[in-house]
Amino acid sequence: MAQAKAAPLAQSRVQNLFSSRYAVFYVLVLPAFLLRMIYSVIPVIQTIQLSMTNRTIVGGGYIGLRNYEFMTRDATLIGSLGWTLLYTGYAAAAETIIGLGIAILLMQNLRLRWLSNFIILLPWVVAPILAALAFRILYFEDGGILNEILRQLGYGNAAVRWLSDAETARFSVIVMTVWKNVSWVALIFMAALGSLPREALEAAAVDGANALQRFWYVTLPLLKPAIYLVLLLRAMAEVQTFEQIYGLTRGGPGSATKTLALYAFERFFQQQRYGYGAAVNMVLLVVTIAVGGIFAWLLYRSREI
Amino acid sequence: MTHRRRRLRNALLYALLFFVLAGLVFPVLFMALTSLKTAAEVNRIPPTLWPKYPTLENYPFMARAWDFWLALRNSLILAGGSGLGATVLGAMAAYAFSRGTFRGRTLMYALLVASMALPAMVALGPIFIAYLRLRLLDTHIGLLLVFTAGGLPLATLLQFAYFNAIPRELDDAAAIDGAGRFTTLFRIIMPIAMPGVFVSFLLLFIVGWNDFLFVFTLSSSPDTQVLTTNLYTIPPREADYQSSNLDLVATAGMFVLLPLVPLLMLTQRQLVEGITFGAVQG
Repeated sequence: MAQAKAAPLAQSRVQNLFSSRYAVFYVLVLPAFLLRMIYSVIPVIQTIQLSMTNRTIVGGGYIGLRNYEFMTRDATLIGSLGWTLLYTGYAAAAETIIGLGIAILLMQNLRLRWLSNFIILLPWVVAPILAALAFRILYFEDGGILNEILRQLGYGNAAVRWLSDAETARFSVIVMTVWKNVSWVALIFMAALGSLPREALEAAAVDGANALQRFWYVTLPLLKPAIYLVLLLRAMAEVQTFEQIYGLTRGGPGSATKTLALYAFERFFQQQRYGYGAAVNMVLLVVTIAVGGIFAWLLYRSREI
Repeated sequence: MTHRRRRLRNALLYALLFFVLAGLVFPVLFMALTSLKTAAEVNRIPPTLWPKYPTLENYPFMARAWDFWLALRNSLILAGGSGLGATVLGAMAAYAFSRGTFRGRTLMYALLVASMALPAMVALGPIFIAYLRLRLLDTHIGLLLVFTAGGLPLATLLQFAYFNAIPRELDDAAAIDGAGRFTTLFRIIMPIAMPGVFVSFLLLFIVGWNDFLFVFTLSSSPDTQVLTTNLYTIPPREADYQSSNLDLVATAGMFVLLPLVPLLMLTQRQLVEGITFGAVQG
């Protein structure tokens, strides 16, 4: 009797446990998942729709692909697309090379460990907009410190127009970006270097390879996945750069340093041309995914071998 | 390697180290030095490297003239609130991903990771339009939600790695004692994974503190400005628009940076752990 009563009870308890076991995981995961989707994936899908309208602050409607058609004749857009790719390429390459150099230097067991760790983290912790501000002070043209240092070093009175000459401004923007991100790259490479198999390096040393050979033939090939990972993450961040460049040059002089994100911001938020701004954002999205895809593929391949 | 060659090599390495560290610290150092100069000195040509008559007078001046306290409060609310919110929500999601087998688990995880690749600028457009309609522009809650959503992937992935390292037997033991999933997570798993939970909060706090774009696009009222967005509304000294106010600009910059410096000194190890976590994870 007691047994007969207990059996259904146990069964329903098992059922309860089973279903609540699932339910509780949804309760745990959905707040984060839904919030993230509402603020990222869904707005991106809406951007696709919006890019086919001529909406502004006062309204507007569906115009098909006319925005995209207009973009092929928009010199500012084409210029900013070119500059974005150039900037991404130079900045990501320079960050990777210099960052790897700094990482190797800091792995040499030098003294001042605490100080160098602190200084390495400093550019990383500086807000992008604050990096722009610090460099605006350095690049100040009439009586700025960089021009003064150059003068003291004997480069005459030819004041460099750091931010008001188009080509120089592009260089200045890249220098600031490299300064801001190189420490992050160095930290990643230090972690990667620290986890390399020691046997391979020791074997090469026993075989009589010198330091340069060991680096070129052993360390570098082993670092390949880390290098592609750094390139992937840096290039994807660089493609969408907004804050630093907005803070330093506002995209100027002219449109010389206007990245796609700055141009999209100008169209969408400043001129409130939502339709066209969304179309520019679509270009930004496609370029970001393309850049990410290329490096993700390289990373994937480097890990297989 | 002979003794002499080793000493030469070390001298070279230290010289290189000096140059690298000097280059990395210089922009920030010069900003700090500029904030200690007088108005007369920043307008001097040629400029000075070290302040001739160092003074702290710019700091109290800016604290009064620059809506400093309001912006500081907003920065703390947004960085702290979103750091806390994203860490807790991220922990819940990470726990479900780590322990649960439920329908849609892989898809949800993949979408969460993939969403990190979407540019913030692209998402901000429709968010702005939605906020306009919902009257969420210029509100703390609207900004808090954007910040929290922005931090969720990092919070989830980071804590997922820490939770995975904790043996499942602990969960089973807690279940036998009658603890539900929430109790297990908040009373047992999170305390054990505290280093990871703390790193997640720390990184998100710094990201939130340093953010500019979200507040810049989604709020224009002075009530919801933060320190970073205020950097471009530096008051001119008195009514003198002719001379530059670089000393005040630099002081404002120091107000943004200084609160992070002690944090950086105290938590160096945790920060490096959090930063390099991504590389190890892949």
